[in-house]
Amino acid sequence: MMSLPGRGRVLYAGCRRGVGGSAQCCLFGKVDHEQLQRDYTLLMRTELEDASRRWSFDFTTNRPLVGGDFEWVVLPESRVPFVYQDRTIVVKPQSKAVEPASDHTKEDVPKTPEQCDENTHSAEKHTLKRKQTNITDFYQAKRRVVTTRKTGQ
Amino acid sequence: MELYCLEAETVVRARPDPNLLGDDRVLQSLLTIEERFLPQCSYFKCVQKDIQPFMRRMVATWMLEVCEEQKCEEEVFPLAMNYLDRFLAVVPTRKCNLQLLGAVCMFLASKLKETRPLTAEKLCIYTDNSIRPQELLEWELVVLGKLKWNLAAVTPNDFIEHIVKRLPLPEDKLDLIRKHVQTFIALCATEFNFAMYPPSMIATGSVGAAICGLQLNGTNHALWGDNLTELLAKITNTEVDLLKACQEQIERVLMNSLREGRRQQHKQQQQDQTNPRNKALDDQDQSSTPTDVRDINL
Repeated sequence: MMSLPGRGRVLYAGCRRGVGGSAQCCLFGKVDHEQLQRDYTLLMRTELEDASRRWSFDFTTNRPLVGGDFEWVVLPESRVPFVYQDRTIVVKPQSKAVEPASDHTKEDVPKTPEQCDENTHSAEKHTLKRKQTNITDFYQAKRRVVTTRKTGQ
Repeated sequence: MELYCLEAETVVRARPDPNLLGDDRVLQSLLTIEERFLPQCSYFKCVQKDIQPFMRRMVATWMLEVCEEQKCEEEVFPLAMNYLDRFLAVVPTRKCNLQLLGAVCMFLASKLKETRPLTAEKLCIYTDNSIRPQELLEWELVVLGKLKWNLAAVTPNDFIEHIVKRLPLPEDKLDLIRKHVQTFIALCATEFNFAMYPPSMIATGSVGAAICGLQLNGTNHALWGDNLTELLAKITNTEVDLLKACQEQIERVLMNSLREGRRQQHKQQQQDQTNPRNKALDDQDQSSTPTDVRDINL
C-alpha cells in the first residue's frame, strides 16, 4: 500500500526552525517596513481612484463626478433606511485577534451596554477607538445617494 | 452549582448535507462557476519580476506547515493558495513581501472557513515577527480589493464528496481515501503547475491517484485503470486524456516530494554525525519531521 508524506514537514526544510520544529521562520529576509507602507499607500490610492472612476463618485470629497456611467441624486436623510445613515458605532472588541497586543488591558475592560451605544456623527471618537483599518477610512461614502444605472453591467 | 464552559474544546462543524451532496445541480453549479476563480494568467511570465516559481513553493510549503500546526480545516490551505495566485496574477509583488501576502491569504481563508480563525498575532509570530499585525490588517484590505471581495472561491476540496459519493468504493475505506485525496490536493496547491487547472480536475485526478495508490481496485472492475479514469471523467465532465495526464502529474509530484523527504532525512543524519553538538536540536527537529513516509499515519 502506498503511503503519503507528512505534507509540509516532508516537503520543506528550507529555513531555520523555531523552537520545537515550529514553522516559525522568516522566509525572504528582512521586511522593509517603510517600503511596505509606501506600497500599501500606493495600492490603496489606485484602488480608490479605480472605484471613483467606476462609480463616477469622488469618495475623498464625497462629491459625484460628472460624465460617468452614473447619475447621482441627493436624498434627504429621512428617506434613507436607518442602516445607511451616516453614523459611527463604537463596539467593544470581541476578539483579541485584530487588536495590537499592547492595548489588551485598556480594550478588554468590560463595558456596559450604554458605553457601547451609537455615537452619531462623532468621528473623533471613532478614530480614537478603532485600531483596525476600516473601509470607511478610504471610502467615506455617506450613502445619501442612490444610483440610476444608465448602462447595464 | 458550578458552571463549566467547555466551548474552547469543541470545533463546530456542519455535517455533510445529503440534500446538497445528492443533488446533481450542486455539482453542475460548482463546475459552471469554478473557472471564475482561476488566476487570470500564468503570472511568472507576465506580471512578476522579483518572484520566481521556487519562491512560491517556499511560501506555499510554509503556509501548509502553519495550517497543519494550527490544525486548520482542510480547505483553508488550498483556498489561501487560490487567493495568493489570484493576487499575484494582478499585482507585481516584491520578494520580501511574499510571506506577508501568504499570511494575509491564510488570515482571510481561515476567517471564511473556520469557527475559530487564525489570529493576526499568531500569523505574525509564524513569520518570525518579520511583519506586524497592523501591516497584516492593512494588506488584508489591499488583497480583498484586488480579489474584488470574491472570497468564496471553488476549491478542489469542494468536489471530494461529490466524486467519492458517485464511485463504488468500499465503505470502510472512505475515510482513508478522503485523507489521501486531501493530501494530494494540498500537494497540488504547493505546485504552480496546477494553479491554472480547474479545481474539479485536480479533485478528480487526486481521487484517481488515491484509489490507485491505495490499490483499492482489486475486486471491483469499475475501479480498474482505464475504467476508473472514464468513470471519473464522466462525473466531472473532464476529458479522459487531460484527466489521465493530470493524475500522472500528481503521482510524479508525490514521488518527487517523497524523494525530497528522504534526501532531507539523509542530510540531517549526516549533520548529526558531523556535528554532535547540534544533536539535541536536530533530535527535536526530527521528532516533528517524520521523513519515513511509511511511518506516517495520516
